[in-house]
Amino acid sequence: METENLKVVNKRVLKMDALGLACGEPVFTDDVDINGMLYGRILWSHYAHARIKKIDTREAEKVPGVKAVLTYKNVPRVPHTTAGQGYPEPSPYDSYVLDNKVRFVGDRVAAVAAETPEAAEAALKLIKVEYEILPAVFDVFEAVKDGAPIIHDEEDAKNIPDAKHNIAAKFDFEVRNGDWFKDADFVVEHTYKMPYLQHCAIEPHTVITSFDHFGRLIIRTSTQVPFHVRRIVAQALRIPVKKIRVIKPRIGGGFGSKQEVLLEDITAALTLKTGKPVKIEYTRRETFISSRTRHPATVRLKTGVRKDGTITDAEMDITLNTGAYGSHALTVMMCSGSHTLPMYKVANNIRFIGKSVYTNLPVSGAYRGYGATQGFFAWESQMDIMANKIAMDPVEFRKKNYIRLGEGSPVFKAMGEGREGVEQVITSIGLYEGIEAGLKAINWHEKKKKYKNQSGQLRRGLGMACMMQGSGIPEVDMASATLKMNEDGSFNLMVGAADLGTGSDTILAQIAAEVLGVKAEDVIVYSADTDLTPFDVGAYASSTTFISGNAVKKTAEKVRGMIIAVAAKILDRKPDDLRLEGGKVVAKDGAACSLSEVANTSLYYYDQHQIVASASHYAHTSPPPFAANFVEVEVDTGTGKIAILNYISCVDCGTAINPELAEGQNDGAVLNGIGHTLSEEMEFSSNGTPLNASFRRYKIFNTADMPAIKTILIPTFEPNGPFGAKSVSEIGINGPLPAVANAVQDAVGARLFSSPFTPEKVIAAIKNLQPVS
Amino acid sequence: MNNIKYCSFPETPKAALAWLLSRKAEALAVAGGTLVAKTLPETVENFVNLKNLPLDYIKKQGADLVIGAMATFDDIDNSKLVRGWAGGTISGAAARCSSQLIRNMATIGGNIARPHSFNIFPAVLMGLDARVRVLSRIGVKTYLFSDIYGGDFKLRPGRDCLILDVIIPGKTRNWVCRFEKFAKTEASWEAYFTLFMAAAVKGGVVKEVRISVGALSPKPFRAQAAEKALSGGKLTSGVVDAAALEFARDLDGVRASEFKKEAASSLFKRFLNGI
Amino acid sequence: MKKENARLKAVNGIFEICLGINGVKKSFSVKNTEFLLDALRRHGYKSVKKGCDTGDCGSCTVIFNGKPALACLIPAFTAHGSEITTIEGLGTVQNPHPLQEAFVEAGAVQCGFCIPGMILSSKHLLDANPEPSEEEIRKYLDGNLCRCTGYVKQIQAVRMAAKRIKNGEKRFRGKAS
Repeated sequence: METENLKVVNKRVLKMDALGLACGEPVFTDDVDINGMLYGRILWSHYAHARIKKIDTREAEKVPGVKAVLTYKNVPRVPHTTAGQGYPEPSPYDSYVLDNKVRFVGDRVAAVAAETPEAAEAALKLIKVEYEILPAVFDVFEAVKDGAPIIHDEEDAKNIPDAKHNIAAKFDFEVRNGDWFKDADFVVEHTYKMPYLQHCAIEPHTVITSFDHFGRLIIRTSTQVPFHVRRIVAQALRIPVKKIRVIKPRIGGGFGSKQEVLLEDITAALTLKTGKPVKIEYTRRETFISSRTRHPATVRLKTGVRKDGTITDAEMDITLNTGAYGSHALTVMMCSGSHTLPMYKVANNIRFIGKSVYTNLPVSGAYRGYGATQGFFAWESQMDIMANKIAMDPVEFRKKNYIRLGEGSPVFKAMGEGREGVEQVITSIGLYEGIEAGLKAINWHEKKKKYKNQSGQLRRGLGMACMMQGSGIPEVDMASATLKMNEDGSFNLMVGAADLGTGSDTILAQIAAEVLGVKAEDVIVYSADTDLTPFDVGAYASSTTFISGNAVKKTAEKVRGMIIAVAAKILDRKPDDLRLEGGKVVAKDGAACSLSEVANTSLYYYDQHQIVASASHYAHTSPPPFAANFVEVEVDTGTGKIAILNYISCVDCGTAINPELAEGQNDGAVLNGIGHTLSEEMEFSSNGTPLNASFRRYKIFNTADMPAIKTILIPTFEPNGPFGAKSVSEIGINGPLPAVANAVQDAVGARLFSSPFTPEKVIAAIKNLQPVS
Repeated sequence: MNNIKYCSFPETPKAALAWLLSRKAEALAVAGGTLVAKTLPETVENFVNLKNLPLDYIKKQGADLVIGAMATFDDIDNSKLVRGWAGGTISGAAARCSSQLIRNMATIGGNIARPHSFNIFPAVLMGLDARVRVLSRIGVKTYLFSDIYGGDFKLRPGRDCLILDVIIPGKTRNWVCRFEKFAKTEASWEAYFTLFMAAAVKGGVVKEVRISVGALSPKPFRAQAAEKALSGGKLTSGVVDAAALEFARDLDGVRASEFKKEAASSLFKRFLNGI
Repeated sequence: MKKENARLKAVNGIFEICLGINGVKKSFSVKNTEFLLDALRRHGYKSVKKGCDTGDCGSCTVIFNGKPALACLIPAFTAHGSEITTIEGLGTVQNPHPLQEAFVEAGAVQCGFCIPGMILSSKHLLDANPEPSEEEIRKYLDGNLCRCTGYVKQIQAVRMAAKRIKNGEKRFRGKAS
């Protein structure tokens, strides 16, 4: 199937919720007023590691207006994971609603619900806690040693591979074809490091819980995973799934931070205790400290390369810091390999050694890029270093080695997400075209020549990086949709897919509209509500366009069949001769009836029935999108400041269902990645206290900081995707770190191995300048 | 803020001062409020809001430039008069202060009333020999800006006195000036350091010179050894090198990372080479 | 509203203030600890968002006595006698402002949480400077953080709106869907 006859897909369609949002309509979790609502507040630990010896809430309970005080003593103790993943979750069950132990500065100690925020805060101050301070560990390599403080010493935790050595997850695999490095002309080994990073969605995570008139618990929450929230809250609080309804309103950004049960369990516990509506919202500071972060990574990469440009061997050894709890510990670690190792052909041996390690620092979790960001920083830096070593142009070196159409990789089968993966071959790839487009857009060859012999303190350089991601988790992720027809030929599309600002509601409407021959605005989307919309795993793993999109396409095709069946009778034509087009059912001979006629016939006149259908989709492959990123930098060798002059990001996302929204996804991912590259880093004191938990001190880029960014979509057709589509939301974040590192090396000859590339680090690297080999 | 019982909106500095000096309720005067709004002392009972004071002027008075205490960073950034003064560095410094929304609210009076190491104006005002008119119980008195920041200044702006305006001497109008805020990224709120240099250059000879450094230490300071090395001479490469060396010496006693000092020295040298 | 050389008095920590919001005169009771952001949200102006509450993100931007300002840094009682414009006062879904249209058409709205603030800043920019350069737009919007878009399409949107306002164009037909 080709894209040229498409009417709605791959066309400019305005994001359906954009105008309401631009007019400030009250659509977010906190934009409702609920009578009698209590304000929930949480007491956070000031200690990195301590046991609660005594906790006395009597004074707190006496504060006027206080309705409940919860501690580990009066909530269910059920080990679970907060990671919003498919069941059974591949993350260890090491979390409790409240525990008698705190494991990082910012861990939960107790919770209060009161009639006013002031009363709740006053009560927090009156909770008396006596702690036994335990030795804490903040470094992953210290934490795995014998005798290190054991962070999860509780006996009822489950699925922790080696709690005594603080190992929350581990995974190794090897493809062996002879002796290691025997064919290599050069062996290159380096270690790359990435710190704690925060998502910084502008809407802090907010939850409002209440009972409906059936006594069911309603959870209104800014979540990416409504169905996982329902299941995990049911598990953690020991209440039946049928007693819970999760509603996801508009979400103010997530980027992975809201693929998690963050406050839903504790807020629900307060509603269960008081019988009243309760709201808890993170402050910005709490969002930094107590929500989730990107797993800090240390990646040791050892590769062999031959003079002809063949990569002979690759050993990737990654240690992630999962913080105090193992949320996404196994899967992020595995994705750091499974999304990077297949990118280039390795002739002989491949080994992956992965660990996620507990420390007494904030909890890591899902974050746009999901391991691939950490992995590609190492891989794409090392690709340039290897190319320099064999004196080959780094672009040519990549072109020689990247995975081709029809090719597979042993890694696809060996490494899935938390379990064995699925064998697959590449069924669409536009990387060559992406590289060519990027070279041209940044004027690579001419500028390379121009910058060859520079003098003065300001030096310019060019760098590039290639990457891939996935499109959903094969044979794990499932999505479904329900579509019903209205009298006027419009449709209601109910999906569990969680639009968190990405525009997925709009692109799903486009897919349905394309199948049904109507305009996108004739499809009214509702997402997501566990009572009303069918199951969807949620918005993560770059799955919505590919998995949910396919579910919507299948559903619409079913509905199309039902419409044609009715129309065949109206028009007295064979179903096979009918098609849907322009809001009508049209026969080969030109006879036609409108969709509203079909709807009215089915609803009122003949063989009455609601035209409605549901369908589900899960996939056996996860077709990777590919990208080539190019950057021009100017490095001030006097101050160490890196200025990004131009950034070009070429993305093959298959058919862009909505090109404008696809560009927007990539623009945002790129700027987020540039923030990681030049500025972002959570800092901690020596006792584990976060030092820069604010937008003032944790700098995300604004309009004055941002460089010129251009996204170029490279169209391909992915046969497994809806109308040829693959994913687009995450891949863009993986490029800036390696591309800028490569450009800095090009400009000043110094190599940066540790992000962010602050002026201080650049100066240090220039001072230690010796050719990296 | 629990104890706030009054919010006063004085229309004259005199009325504002009267509230501050009143013994009936502890008062605090607030201009833009961007620095104090979230950290108001708990004991304050009377919040004296200065928004109605007629102190947002920017004007020439004789040869001098006078900026009213209530002029915002945005006003200063966009004033033609200020843009044409001291090579535009005063406006340039205003433009580099945090974000537009803060620049719309924060005032020059507030910026100098409440010393923070990363405040942007002090280094500039120090380098331009600025004077400050202050209203206190003894009436209106003009102080050297450097005296207000010097430690001997006993009055507490916003508590027992009010800053009325800042006077920038006419002689600085055509001085050769350079300003740089060096931070992690372009728009970081907090600078690694700010560097200001002002010089009267005639026929290639440096007649008068001021070099001030901000954000590197709790209060801005003048790099006096470097100033000495520069003044009276021509900017030959020998003089530039000597001044750079002296500048590094000026920074020796400062408790800041070697990197920041080196970067400051590097930018300082660039200033000189650019003149 | 006229200036007042006077003093407001709190009773039991509550101030009674009068202010104009989107051209309508309002009386609010506000706590002495309350900031304008919370007071506005409490009175139904939900478009004013709380992203940080520390003056760093710009989600709570309102036009305050003529200039974009951060509602989270303004003690509510000091807003007595002020004129405030929120995005509700700029345009509605039925009758949007050209900036609101342009943000939609340029694809500049993703999650939308920062957008009311971003548009209010842009509104003031275009009022003062009807044909801003890209550099001027970037400088003026630097207090309105967005994590979704990379700002690329938002800057395009402001330029698009500037052109349309200048040409007196109006796109959306006041339709209610």
